[in-house]
Amino acid sequence: MTEFLTIESIVVALVLVTTLVAIGARRLRLPYTVSLVVMGLLIAIPTSLQLEATPELILAIFVPPLVFEAAFHLDLKQLRENLVPILFLAVPGVLLTTTMVGGMTALGAGVALGTAVVFGALIAATDPVAVVSLFRALGVPRKLALTVEGESLFNDGTAIVIFRIALAAVLTGTFDPLTGLLDFFRVSLGGIGVGLVLGWITAQLVLRLHDRLIVTSLTTILAFGSYLAAEQLHVSGVLSVVVAGLLVGNVGMGGATPSTKLMILNLWEFLAFLANSMVFLLIGLNIDLTHLWENLDVLAVAVVAVVASRAIIVYGFSWLARLWRKQGYFPPSWRHVFFWGGLRGAISLALALSLPAAMPGRSELQAMAFGVVLFTLLAQGTTIQFLLERLGLTQRSPQWVARERRLGRLFATQAGLRRLEQLHWDGLIPEEMWVGLKRGYAHDRKQIQEEMNALFREYADLEGEMLFQARRGALQAERGALWDARQRHLISDPVYDELAAEIDYRLEALDLIYGTTYERQSVEDEV
Amino acid sequence: MGSIVCATRGGEAGRRTQERAIALAKERGDELIFLCVFDPSFAGPLNPALAGAVAQEQQWLGRALMSVAQARAREQGVEAGAVVLSGTILDCIEEYLCESGASTLVIGEAKIDSPLSTFRHGMVRSCARHVEHNTSVEVVVVSPAE
Repeated sequence: MTEFLTIESIVVALVLVTTLVAIGARRLRLPYTVSLVVMGLLIAIPTSLQLEATPELILAIFVPPLVFEAAFHLDLKQLRENLVPILFLAVPGVLLTTTMVGGMTALGAGVALGTAVVFGALIAATDPVAVVSLFRALGVPRKLALTVEGESLFNDGTAIVIFRIALAAVLTGTFDPLTGLLDFFRVSLGGIGVGLVLGWITAQLVLRLHDRLIVTSLTTILAFGSYLAAEQLHVSGVLSVVVAGLLVGNVGMGGATPSTKLMILNLWEFLAFLANSMVFLLIGLNIDLTHLWENLDVLAVAVVAVVASRAIIVYGFSWLARLWRKQGYFPPSWRHVFFWGGLRGAISLALALSLPAAMPGRSELQAMAFGVVLFTLLAQGTTIQFLLERLGLTQRSPQWVARERRLGRLFATQAGLRRLEQLHWDGLIPEEMWVGLKRGYAHDRKQIQEEMNALFREYADLEGEMLFQARRGALQAERGALWDARQRHLISDPVYDELAAEIDYRLEALDLIYGTTYERQSVEDEV
Repeated sequence: MGSIVCATRGGEAGRRTQERAIALAKERGDELIFLCVFDPSFAGPLNPALAGAVAQEQQWLGRALMSVAQARAREQGVEAGAVVLSGTILDCIEEYLCESGASTLVIGEAKIDSPLSTFRHGMVRSCARHVEHNTSVEVVVVSPAE
């Protein structure tokens, strides 16, 4: 019981720290994940706090929610449209990274080739959480964010599979390329298969069950269960979660009501935030700065190898793509974001921690992995915003912000007026006061609306965007009203299904019209 | 009395174009019709249910945009008609001009290549010449400076 309470106290303390860091980072406008790592380092120095981030803890507890939430949000259609760059970066890209980083560290740091290849594999997976959250905040083109997220989702799985094969080869002293290749396909395809089966079953259940609590529970079971099931079968747990998340997010959610969707999205946003916070705090707590200092020379070689191999892969792919297709797969300026946004994080840390004691050069490999993670977070994570702004990829123009500001003031004014109406209705303010206050609010509202109108006159595109937003909101409200009517037995299930499907198609069509209109612009201008 | 057709889709040039068409209708005492054309083939091949929804949604958005334009005209004392069509933009405009016997077409040239602009920058004037040549209808291009 005492041990349980101690663990609970530590968990509560960690959540408290992450929450305080979140508050501080928002106030000081610092990157959240970087702030967590720094906080972890600061806590670890004076307290010598030893909170061991075991690979099981990271891979089985923290990685599934992170991966599931990201996969759940990915649009399968958009993913398909960008599949070539995503799969290139996630499969041959990871293999090439493993080889190049392995070769460079073996040559530059004097690490045995096999050991260096293991390092290449464990450091190959990108972890752009810090970058993606920044993308969302800055409003970069959706296709850019999707490619970065998609690459990271799939390369996690690939890197883990290659890492296990390379590690087994080093520990046993034998490596048969054919067996290795077959193992790679078995573990990868096996993971995808488990994800497909469990994801499909869950999606079908979600389509048939309309209780939001049950549906939300099902997604939770799927996220952790698909990982565990795949690992039990000795296939890739991460790939299983990716596929399961994609299926339930794209297929299952088609039949979910707005209220169910909202509940699921809120839950997964929170779980991913919690997992993400814990992982980065634990990274900080587990990095031993003295150990890094002692291995500074090999660490420098590792950083150069990782950055150089990322550059070769991204710019090389872009060059090849333009030979293959004149316009390439993405605008030229995006290459720099793919290159500099290739941060490393949780997966690399977990794999480094999972190295067995018998592994030759284990201590150096861990120092190299932690050092690279720290470098990418501190150097790349803190400068990516500057790069995005220099490349003109942050879409929030001054007029867009001006529109948002007026919209915000309009919301606030309306809320104030509603509250006054309530007070007046309840008889809590005298009639004269109500009339005076109402006029004041009406005046404010008119002024904001006139300002908004003037803004629209100058920037008519904003009006078009607002029309899309308003229409989307109205369709979602229609969907919600249908659900309510069904719950009150005003309409039958078949009628509900028919009408809800119509609205879902209209929402999808609206997103398609909007997405095509706006994405076309950002891509065409760049090419 | 002639009739003015104002082709608009609510893009960057939309508001200017509508204002100019309204002013022209008042000045000449002509009938005013707002025309909105959507091309449903923009999204490539889609499943039939989604393709149907896209066409319906385009019609819906078109009607909403045209209602806004009509309300603007009404504010200035002009009662305008509205038509929403689906098909290839230029073909639809030309066909409608011929069918309705319109005397003037008003179209807008976007300030920049804005996301919602119908034509790429520089294409509007060549399209205007094309329409004038094919239909003998006067075409007024509202430039960004107006």
